[in-house]
Amino acid sequence: MDRRIPLRKEIEYLSPEGLRLDGRLPSELRQISAQIGAVPNADGSAVFEMGNTKVIAAVYGPRKVQNWGQQINDQALVRCEYSVANFSTGDRVRRPKGDRRSTEISLVIRQTMEACIMTHQMPRTQIDIYVQVLQADGGTRSACINAATLALAAAGIPMKDLVTSCGAGYLNGTPLLDLNYVEDSAGGPDVILGILPTLNRVTLLQADSKLTMDAFESVMQLVTEGCMAVADYIRSVLREHTKQLELRRGV
Amino acid sequence: MVGLSTGEKHFIKGGIDQDLRSDGRRRLTYRPISVETGVIPQANGSARLRMGETDVIATVKAEIGKPSHLHPNRGKVSISVDCSAIASPVFEGRGGEELSTELSVALQRCLLGGKSGAGAGIDLLSLNVMEGKICWDLYIEGLVINADGNLLDALGALSNTGIPKVNVAAEFSAEEQPEVDISDEDFLRFDTSSVPVVITLTKVGKHYIVDATLEEESHMSSAISVSINSRGQICGLTKRGGAGVDPSVVLDIISVAKHVSEHFIMKLDSEISAAEADEAGS
Repeated sequence: MDRRIPLRKEIEYLSPEGLRLDGRLPSELRQISAQIGAVPNADGSAVFEMGNTKVIAAVYGPRKVQNWGQQINDQALVRCEYSVANFSTGDRVRRPKGDRRSTEISLVIRQTMEACIMTHQMPRTQIDIYVQVLQADGGTRSACINAATLALAAAGIPMKDLVTSCGAGYLNGTPLLDLNYVEDSAGGPDVILGILPTLNRVTLLQADSKLTMDAFESVMQLVTEGCMAVADYIRSVLREHTKQLELRRGV
Repeated sequence: MVGLSTGEKHFIKGGIDQDLRSDGRRRLTYRPISVETGVIPQANGSARLRMGETDVIATVKAEIGKPSHLHPNRGKVSISVDCSAIASPVFEGRGGEELSTELSVALQRCLLGGKSGAGAGIDLLSLNVMEGKICWDLYIEGLVINADGNLLDALGALSNTGIPKVNVAAEFSAEEQPEVDISDEDFLRFDTSSVPVVITLTKVGKHYIVDATLEEESHMSSAISVSINSRGQICGLTKRGGAGVDPSVVLDIISVAKHVSEHFIMKLDSEISAAEADEAGS
């Protein structure tokens, strides 16, 4: 995921029929699946899969602030830690905890989630979000954010809206939705978007490589649609989860 | 880590004294175990084991490597355990490092034997491909998803399950290496009959219990982990916890562990074969 192989011109990322390497259409998401409640110890947890990418998120809190000096008197403290399992990538790399890449992703996830949590309702508390990547095949950032949203919702933390995230790239002159590892390593642009689907606000936007204005516009439109599709799925998972809870309670 | 009131503590301790624990088990009964194999497609072998609320994943990756010049006819195995922060906020940052190291070193002792590799649970000689030149490097990695006591046993059981699947993929990677001439085309599955399981007996008060939960572990004065293979041979011993144990009790514990291990291995084997059949069927 983090090691970019140099741009290989000979690879055609789009077949003449307009299909991608894994047989998807340019505007097709990978198979997504989500499941709530993977970690019994946590207050809320979720597994989120996007194709071969698989992450677990666990939320602890709101609880007492552990480090007294960090306490904020008028809002909750949101913390996040992102870690990657050694076995998650194709070739084995031993990564120490807290390297720059994971620190950056932790920060991104924290800022994105903070934007939607009603932190003012829970002053002097702390909410911990932990994400663990089990399998990395491109789009871990987006998968982590989606898993974190589900976990926060499962923990019953008040939120203004869900945050859903999705990535897109631009290869062979075509915008491609939800890049996998091979497409991501192609060296083309990679745009990651996180939005609040109901409020229609962008909370996360990252892009690398150069992209013309026109191309960016089309990519942006595609990735917004992708986020909306993810949002629909996440809502259906949450609705199903709530139904299950209702059933168990015998309402 | 576990917040228990005095009353709860008495209840747990009293239950253990009367051979009826808070979840209805007896002192030497395990929680229900379920095994899932092939959970991580990137690895050569992987398994996920759930023992009550405890949830761990183990993977095995095989790579072609160069044997050390001291032991030219042996492969290399490295074991590492990672405690994920999702299991408990305590493991955040470097917080899980101490426990991870304790677990991986204990596991190493139980599975790999001494420095020379003699008496190891995993037969290092079977990892040899070409003497002095090429051998298999096995990387065994554990990841703790949810901790509710008895992690070591769970991880021990897992490395047991992970290993037999390694060589399924090993044949492919072997062929990619041009200088390796593999003469036997059929899979060399590892001989796992001698891979030990780890049984931990936790001493609470006067008695010792098997498969302690987190609440029970908070009471432990000391614990002894015994790794035993299916032939009933002891492969390794680790004592954890601060309090001293009477030498005669140690012998007693080992014999109990040996007795328990027979059932445990049987149960594990049937779970693994069921999981493998399940995987093959789907």
